[in-house]
Amino acid sequence: MSMKKNKIIRLTLSYLVIAVMAVIVFYPLLWIIGSSFNPGNSLSGSTMFPENPTLAHYKHLFDADKSDYIIWYKNSLKISIITMVLTVASVALTAYSFSRYRFVGRKNGLITFLILQMIPNFAALIAIFVLANRTGLIDTHLGLILVYVGGQIPMNTYLMKGYLDTIPKELDESAKMDGAGHLRIFFQIVMPLAKPILAVVALFSFIAPFGDFILARILLRSEDKFTLLVGLYELVAKQFGNEFTKFAAGSVLIAIPIAALFLVFQRYFVSGLTAGGTKG
Amino acid sequence: MEAEKVGTTKHAKTAALLSIVPGLGQFYNRQFLKGIIFLVLAASFGIVFGDILNMGFWGLFTLGEIPKVDHSIFLLIDGIIALIVTVLGLGVYAFNLYDAHSNGKKRDLGLKLNSVREQYHNLIDGGFPYLMISPGFLLLIFVVIFPIIFVILLAFTNYDLYHSPPAKLVDWIGIQNFIDIFKIDIWRNTFFKVLGWTIVWTFGATTFQIALGMFLAIVVNQKDLKGKAIIRTILILPWAVPAFVSIMIFSGMFNETFGAINKMILPALGLDPQPWMTEANWTRLALILIQGWLGFPFIFAMVTGVLQSIPEDLYEAATVDGASIWQKFSKITLPLVLFATAPIMITQYTFNFNNFNVIFLFNNGGPAVPGQTAWGTDILISWIYRLTMTSAQYGKAAAITMILSFIIIAVALWQFRRTKSFQEEDMM
Amino acid sequence: MKKALSLFMMIMLVLGVLAACGPNREEGTSTENEGGNTAGEEPAKPEKLVVWEDTDKEVALEPAIEAFEKEYGIKVEYKTLGMADKIRDQLRLDGPAGNAPDVVTLPHDQIGQVVVEGLISEIEVDQEVLDTFTESSISAQMYDGKLYGLPKATETPVFIYNKALMEKAPETFDELYAFSKDFTKGDNYGFLALWDNYYFAHGIMGGNGAYVFKDENGALNRDDIGLNNEGAETGAAYIQQWYKEGLFPKGIIGESGGSAMDGLFNEGKVASVMNGPWAFQAMKDAGIDYGVAPLPTLPNGENVKTFMGVKGWHVTAFTENQYWATKLVEFLTNEESAKTRFETTGEIPPVKTLIEDPIIADNEAAKAVAVQSSYAIPMPNIPEMAEVWSPMASALQQIATQKSEPKAALDSAVDTIKKQIETNHAK
Repeated sequence: MSMKKNKIIRLTLSYLVIAVMAVIVFYPLLWIIGSSFNPGNSLSGSTMFPENPTLAHYKHLFDADKSDYIIWYKNSLKISIITMVLTVASVALTAYSFSRYRFVGRKNGLITFLILQMIPNFAALIAIFVLANRTGLIDTHLGLILVYVGGQIPMNTYLMKGYLDTIPKELDESAKMDGAGHLRIFFQIVMPLAKPILAVVALFSFIAPFGDFILARILLRSEDKFTLLVGLYELVAKQFGNEFTKFAAGSVLIAIPIAALFLVFQRYFVSGLTAGGTKG
Repeated sequence: MEAEKVGTTKHAKTAALLSIVPGLGQFYNRQFLKGIIFLVLAASFGIVFGDILNMGFWGLFTLGEIPKVDHSIFLLIDGIIALIVTVLGLGVYAFNLYDAHSNGKKRDLGLKLNSVREQYHNLIDGGFPYLMISPGFLLLIFVVIFPIIFVILLAFTNYDLYHSPPAKLVDWIGIQNFIDIFKIDIWRNTFFKVLGWTIVWTFGATTFQIALGMFLAIVVNQKDLKGKAIIRTILILPWAVPAFVSIMIFSGMFNETFGAINKMILPALGLDPQPWMTEANWTRLALILIQGWLGFPFIFAMVTGVLQSIPEDLYEAATVDGASIWQKFSKITLPLVLFATAPIMITQYTFNFNNFNVIFLFNNGGPAVPGQTAWGTDILISWIYRLTMTSAQYGKAAAITMILSFIIIAVALWQFRRTKSFQEEDMM
Repeated sequence: MKKALSLFMMIMLVLGVLAACGPNREEGTSTENEGGNTAGEEPAKPEKLVVWEDTDKEVALEPAIEAFEKEYGIKVEYKTLGMADKIRDQLRLDGPAGNAPDVVTLPHDQIGQVVVEGLISEIEVDQEVLDTFTESSISAQMYDGKLYGLPKATETPVFIYNKALMEKAPETFDELYAFSKDFTKGDNYGFLALWDNYYFAHGIMGGNGAYVFKDENGALNRDDIGLNNEGAETGAAYIQQWYKEGLFPKGIIGESGGSAMDGLFNEGKVASVMNGPWAFQAMKDAGIDYGVAPLPTLPNGENVKTFMGVKGWHVTAFTENQYWATKLVEFLTNEESAKTRFETTGEIPPVKTLIEDPIIADNEAAKAVAVQSSYAIPMPNIPEMAEVWSPMASALQQIATQKSEPKAALDSAVDTIKKQIETNHAK
C-alpha cells in the first residue's frame, strides 16, 4: 500500500516540477510571440496578449519596399545550408581519419584544436577582417561560410569521432579483405552506419550561422548581403528608438523553422550525441 | 646512429646532406621522379612565395618604417601569413630530408628501394588520412591558428589610439603591456575584480545549468511517467530559439519598473520587486538564472541519452538490495552520467567563461560601478570588448586575452587529462 | 643531433636573410600622396570623386551631386553606410588598402579620434564660406585649432509633449515640476528624461555651470575638467530630486531605459519627454499628436545647455584630389544643398540663412531644434571624451538611485576620468 502511495506522491511531484518548468520555458517565448502582434514599437508597451493585435510588423517585414527581411532570410538560409554541407563533408572525412588511421598528430591533434578554440578572438577580429580583405573574400558569403565551417570542425569532429569509434572496425577490415578501396569503405560501409551523428552534425552546423551576428557584422558590409541576425540586430542595437516589436516578429520567423528542425531531429539527437560524447 | 654505420656505406648521411637542396638526395638515391618532384616543389615555392616571404618577414620584424606608407597592422598580418607559409614549407622540406635519409639508410642496410609503382601505392595508403584531413586542417590554420598568432603578437605591441596606422607606426614593446596591467592601479584593481566575478559566474552559471538539466532528465526519465515525448519537446525549446533573441526578451522582462518579473510575477508570489538592473548582485543573480534557462536543454538532451543507455537491471538489482532512491542516484546514475559526459561538461564551463553574448546583451555589463573601467557584471571577455571599443587599447586587450587564454587552457588541459585517465582506468 | 642543429642554423640563416631584405623603395615616396594642393590655380580635374553618405540619406545627396557634376564636370559616385560607426571602421581598413573614398560624413565627436589616426585631412576654405554656418557648428569641426570639415546637419535634444495630455510647453522647469507632481500617477508620468545618461544630463548640469573640458580659445583643455564643480553638483542634485520624488521611475535607468521611455510615451502614458529629433518618426507612427519646443529654463533662469551633435562632411586623408574634394564639401553644404537636405530628410543644416528661412521658421519641430541648438554646446570632439561617458554614467546612476550624494559620486567620477585619461591617452 505504502509503495503505491509513494509512487503517487513521487509522480505528482514530478508532474508538478515539469509543469513549473514548462511555464518557465513558455513564458518568455509567449512574450515574444505576443510582442510581435503588438502595435507600437517598444518592449515596455507590449503585452503578452495584446488588446488590439496587429499583423503590421509581419507585413512590414515582408514588404520588399520597406525592409530587406526576405533578402536576409534567403541569405541566411543559403549560408546555413552551404555551411552545413561543407561542415558535414569535412567533419566526416576528418573524423573518419581520426577514428581509423594512424598519422602524425592523431593523438593530440583534436584536443589541441578544441582547446585552441577556447581562446576568445575579439582582439583578432581585425585580423580576420584584413585577411578577408587580402583574399578578396570581404563582403562575400563565401568568406563568412569558410569561417563558420572552420569554427565548426573541431567540436563536431570530436563528437563524430566518438561515434565512429563505436562502429566495429571488423566491418571495414572484412570489406578491405574483399578488396574495397578506402573511399568505398568510407561511403558504403561507415557512413550509412553513422547516420544519427551525421544528422546531429548537420543540425549543429545549420543552426550555428543563425546564432552569430558578430562575425557576420564584421565581414559583411552591404545591406543586401546581411544575414538575418545582423539585420535584426541593427533593429534593436540602436540605443534610441529601437524597433522591438518588429524584432520580435522577425525572431518568431527565425525560431519556428529552427524549432521544427530540432523536433524532427530529436530522436537522432539523443542517440547520436551520447554515443559521441561517451567514448571521446 | 653513427655507431650503426661504422664500416659500411654512408648513404643515409650523404643523401640527407645532399637534400639540403631539395631533391638532390633523392637523385643520389636514384629515385629520379621523386627527386624532380621535390626540386620542382622547392623551386615553385621560392618563386611563388619569395616576395610574400621577403616582405612578410621584413614587416614582421620592423612593423614598418615610414608612417602613412607602411601600415603596421597590415604588415603584421602579412608577416603571419608568411610565417604560416614558411612553416608549411619547412614541413615539406623536413619530409624531403627525412625521405632522403631513410631511403639512404635502406641502402646502407642493403635493402631494395621501392619502385615508382610501389611508391605510388605507399603514397595512396599512407597519405590517405592526410589527404582527408587536409581541407579541414588548412581551414583550421586560417580560422583558428592565424587569429591566435595575431593576438599573441599584438600583445607585445603598443597598438592603441595614439599608435594607430596610418598616421603612426606600431612598435614592438616587449612585455610592457603585461607589466602595465599589473602595475597601474586602475588596471590591476579592475583586473582582479573582474577575474573574481568571472570565476563566480563560470562556476555558478554552469553548475546551475548542469544541475537543472540533469535533474529534469532524471525526473522525465522515470519509467512510469507519461507523455515523455511531449515533455522532452517542450524542455528542449529554449535551445531552439537563438540565444540572442531570448536574451533580449529577458532584458525587457527584468526591467525594474515595466518588466513582467517585477510587475507581475514577484507580486503574484507575494515578493517585493527587486533592482535587477541597477544593483550589481541582483543583475548577477538574474544572469545566472537566464543562463540556466538558456543552457539546461543541451544538458537535458545529453543526459537523457545516457540514462536511456543505462541497463535497467542495474537499478533492479539495487532495489533488491534495498537501496534508497538517493543511493541509486549517487551510486549508479551520477557516476555513469558524469563519466559519459565529462568532456562535454568541461566545454560548458569554458563556454561560459567566454560567454560574451549573455553579459553584453542583457545589461551591457552594467550596472555601472564607480572607480573602475569595468562595470558590475563585466566578465573578462566583455571587459576586453569594452577596452577595445571605447579606449582603443588594442595591445592591452590582446595582453589580457592572452592571460585569460592561459588560465582557460591550463584548466581545460588539466581537466581533459583527468577525464582521460579516469576513462582508461575504469572502462577501457 | 648534429642534423637538428644544422637545420636550426639554416632556418635562422634564411630568416636573417629575409629580414634584412624588405621593400626596395626610393627615397621620397613618402611625400608623394601628401601633395596637398593649396590655394591658387586649379589643379587638374579628376575623373570622379567618391562619397560615403549616411544610410537612408541619399535622397538629399543625389540632387547636390547632380548639380556638382553639371557645374564642374566631375563625376561623383556615392555609397551609403551606417554613420554611427561603420563609416569610420571601414575607412580605417579601406583607406590604407587603397580604395578609400574622397569625402565622408562623420559625427563630429569622432573627429578627434580619426584625426589622431590620420584618416581625415585638414581643409582650407574661405572665411566667407565659414560665415554662412553658425559659430558653434564650425567650432565642432575644429580640432586642435584646425578645421577638419564643414557641418552638414545638427541635432540636439528638445522638449516633446503629447498635445492630448499637455496644452502647451511650459516656460520653466519649475512649472514642469509642478505639473509633473500633479500628473504622475501609476503608469502615467508628467515628464521623463534619461538623466542617467550624461548625453542628456549635460543639459541640466551645463546649464548650472558644469563643463567637460575647459574651452581655451577653440582648443579643449583635457586637464581642466569641470564635472565636479559647484554647478555640476547643483545640477546633479536637481537631477536626483526628480528620481527621489518618484517622478522618474527606476525602469528608465540604465541601458534599456531609452526603449522603456519611448514605449511609454508612444502609448500615451507620458505627457512630455526630453528627446532628440530621431524620436519623431516613431511618435508619428504611434499616432501621437505631439508638439515640440525648446527645453524650459532651469530654476536658476539659465537655458538648458544640451549637447549638440554635428554631422559633417570631411575630406579623407587618402584622397589624391584634395582641392576638388574640398570643393565638393563646400558644394554639399551650400545653402541650396542644405535646403534640399532639410526638405528631403528633415535634418537641420546649421546654415544661418536657412534657419531664418520660412521653411524652418514656420516648422514647429525644426524651429524648436534650431532654437535649442543655439543654447547647446557641441559635444567635445577630443579623443579623451571616450573616457568620460562610462564614469559619468556610473556616477549619474548612483545619484539617480540615491546610493550616493552628488558631490561624492561626481568627485569619484572625475577622479576615474583623470586616471583613465592619464593611462589611455599618454602622449
